[in-house]
Amino acid sequence: MGFIIRAATLEDCKDISRMILELAEYEKVSDQVKITQRDLEQDGFSKNPFFHGIIAEVPEDLKSKEGHTKVGYALYFYTYSSWKGRAVYMEDLYVMPEFRGKGIGKALMSKVSQLGLAAGCTQLNFTVLDWNKSSLDFYLKQGCWDVTSDLGYHCMRCEGVALEHLAQGDL
Amino acid sequence: MANFILRKAEPKDVSDILRLIKELAKFEEMEDQVILTEKDLLEDGFGDHPFYHCIVAEVPKQEQSVDGHVIIGFAMYYFTYDPWIGKLLYLEDFYVMKEFRGFGIGSEILKKLSQTAVRTRCSSMHFIVAEWNKSSIEFYKRRGASDLSLEEGWRLFKIDKQNLLKMTDEE
Repeated sequence: MGFIIRAATLEDCKDISRMILELAEYEKVSDQVKITQRDLEQDGFSKNPFFHGIIAEVPEDLKSKEGHTKVGYALYFYTYSSWKGRAVYMEDLYVMPEFRGKGIGKALMSKVSQLGLAAGCTQLNFTVLDWNKSSLDFYLKQGCWDVTSDLGYHCMRCEGVALEHLAQGDL
Repeated sequence: MANFILRKAEPKDVSDILRLIKELAKFEEMEDQVILTEKDLLEDGFGDHPFYHCIVAEVPKQEQSVDGHVIIGFAMYYFTYDPWIGKLLYLEDFYVMKEFRGFGIGSEILKKLSQTAVRTRCSSMHFIVAEWNKSSIEFYKRRGASDLSLEEGWRLFKIDKQNLLKMTDEE
């Protein structure tokens, strides 16, 4: 099937925003999405971007039922491991349901890996929900391993009121 | 309370930062995993596009550690992105030398980081903790942190360089 993988541009933010919501719906948490198209434009395409994006696009004649040609995306950024140095973190990976099973997800992930390796990264990290069996299987097949299971590392978060209190030195 | 200051790390601190990284890794029984060098830290933290930021805790010369160090704690962090809520501060490493604990240095470092997070409009501060590290988990939970792995089922995954290369070759 004809598709291309390319770097996201400012003009793609509308479709990225759409697909972010689709992915959140799939993860059953769409009410948690506070980011707007404007935020994405500002945070991803200014002088010091906080993330990078890649898009999977199909030709006009293969567009989706609702008329979209941008059918998948990956969002990533560079992080740092105090043990190994430069790393790349894949924040989102998504392909619209009607375009799955054609190697688009694998191609997107491959592109993130290429870009990461080119930037001198030695590892790619990301998180997966424990109930997402099909994704877990897909990733394990690519040679990934589950750091939470194997090493017992848990992902923690401090936000909102708790973060404010911490900043004020309250306990 | 011990006499100490918190300041932004400078290029001259990389030797101490690496020493503290290795001490923390030793505590996590992962010392042999640290392949980072002082040269990497210098290049990656103090160039045009730093991959990480670092704050260090320093005591006056007369209060140095038993083996003669004045840099006795540090935190390494960087900015990440959640497409649902925007900018985040990711805490990669956070450590105070054993002989300087119990003086509130860790709390002050965390306070400084939270202030940075709030000032730079980050919605949240994220980090990982090993599930066996009960005292650290308690420390963080007391400050309002939540365990995303337990509460939401997020598992951290990793792909190393070898498998990244394999993925980029298979096209």
